[in-house]
Amino acid sequence: MFARRALSSCRTHRSMHRTTPSSRSLATATDANAPSTSTGVPPLAPSKPKKEAPKHTLKAAVILNRSPIISRTPTPFEKSYYAYQSRIQRALHNPFPNEFYFKPGSLLEGKFAAEERDREREAFGRTSSTDDDAAINASKDVLEVLGEEEVVKLMPRVHEADLKGDVKSLDRNGERNLYLLLRAKDAAGKDVWRFPQGGVQAEELLHDAAQRDLHAECGAHIDTWVVSRNPIGVYQPSPSEETYLFFYKAHILAGQVRPDGKNIHDFAWLTKEEIETRVGTEYWTGVKDMLADF
Amino acid sequence: MSAAVAVQRTAAQVTRRAARPIRIRKPLRRNEKTGLPIPHVNVILRDTQQSRVADHYYNTLQDDLMYMTYVHEPHARKAPRVIRSLFDPEDPYTMNRFNPIAGGSRWAREVPPPTTSENVVKLERIQLHSMQKSAVTNRSNLLGAIMAFRAISGESIGAGGRRTTDGVQVIRGKKSIGNWLREGVPIGVKVDLKGPKMYEFLATLVDFVLPRLKEYPGVVMPSPKSPLNTPHGASGVVSFGLPPEAMVYFPQIEINVDAYPALYGMHIHFITNAQGVGAQNSVRALLSGFQIPFARR
Repeated sequence: MFARRALSSCRTHRSMHRTTPSSRSLATATDANAPSTSTGVPPLAPSKPKKEAPKHTLKAAVILNRSPIISRTPTPFEKSYYAYQSRIQRALHNPFPNEFYFKPGSLLEGKFAAEERDREREAFGRTSSTDDDAAINASKDVLEVLGEEEVVKLMPRVHEADLKGDVKSLDRNGERNLYLLLRAKDAAGKDVWRFPQGGVQAEELLHDAAQRDLHAECGAHIDTWVVSRNPIGVYQPSPSEETYLFFYKAHILAGQVRPDGKNIHDFAWLTKEEIETRVGTEYWTGVKDMLADF
Repeated sequence: MSAAVAVQRTAAQVTRRAARPIRIRKPLRRNEKTGLPIPHVNVILRDTQQSRVADHYYNTLQDDLMYMTYVHEPHARKAPRVIRSLFDPEDPYTMNRFNPIAGGSRWAREVPPPTTSENVVKLERIQLHSMQKSAVTNRSNLLGAIMAFRAISGESIGAGGRRTTDGVQVIRGKKSIGNWLREGVPIGVKVDLKGPKMYEFLATLVDFVLPRLKEYPGVVMPSPKSPLNTPHGASGVVSFGLPPEAMVYFPQIEINVDAYPALYGMHIHFITNAQGVGAQNSVRALLSGFQIPFARR
């Protein structure tokens, strides 16, 4: 099949270019079968072919993504919808087989009945079945016997980094997709925000170049995975020059960016809307469709 | 005339405002078996909560899988070679003839359609299936398995007012085989999981069951040399089995293991929309995204 062919062709290339820094040392378990390719520190600046200038210049860029780490906060409409459906479920569900799960008259059964009464009251308000005095007293006795339970305290959904406005933290904005943006000097010597990028060496595969360039700009203290061997988009910085920037999607698995401070001055983990405010209009038009809206 | 209409309207508004809620004269009909009230309308239960695993699929996996399975095809595909005329209601020759495809059906040899954002590989349903040999001699041996499957899946017939929910089904023998199986004898149970329940089961499997299995290497994959253009490789279904010991680790069973006469193993089939040569590989990529481990033998 095609996928397998693609894989095998890639393997042959890998054996040719042993210097590709594709090892993940920080988080993922190493594959014993795969040949170790971490032979040294990756070269910082990609060397361009020194022969006659090629017609087209290819460059590889990486959209490094931190996926959402907590579930999305439902909208008020969603909340009331789910509450309504839960009430329907509670009203129409099959009878619960108490005797199958609890020994009749056991403490646990009493506890379950008390909890169930609370849930019923929360769903439908006070009714005659939930406000039976004898049953309430009985459940109080049960709870006294069982003693106080540990109260599970949930972690806050808003992280400290959100309160401080720290855009370098990987814990910020846990519900959203974040993308890595670097601040560097462009060809004209102007300070711009852009995605990690770099050149492609002679006879190097684009996705290998993407991985190498990412490590060259972000340091070795980061574990990443380039999702696909296919680029997800292409951008031509200026229509007059034949330079093409191919974008690859990657995920961060562990670690943090440590720019060298020479070429890269700053970095930030940003959502799609925040990226729009930092990058140039033309660049934004080129990359906006590669980023997830949420 | 318009004035008359306006007067009528105001009158109607006044009466509507004055109307009280309709008194319920007749109590709801009750189900004879269960004694539960039957509502006047067909109430259909929809999602009662957010699904974390489904969100993960739509936020992250779907994009990644599209990029991973995309194959660039700069030119349009050639039309398949027609070996002989196929069924065509307009053609008087083929109209009323039995006209099978020469060489049999070759659906498993077809190349999958080009990947677009519309047809990214997606989980459609999960089927749990368990055959109990002891049920051949005594059909009541199946009851424990039915109860366990009900607890694990939470499905029952027509649950939530949905006609498509079949609950736990009893499988009967299709044909007689020697002195082992007879036709029509209950031999196993199965249950189909779809939608939120399916994702819930997947989360339970990945978070509670698989990590607690002793020395579990992962789902063992067939050798890389096995052909991908067979029905097995091209139907977009990945299956594996769980041993009887694994059933204890489902939290729904764990709470009262003693209530079950035995522990039951099961087959789990992940059924997706992927089709064509090599569909199995993209399904494995999908399942691996849900954190199901795969291993080479």
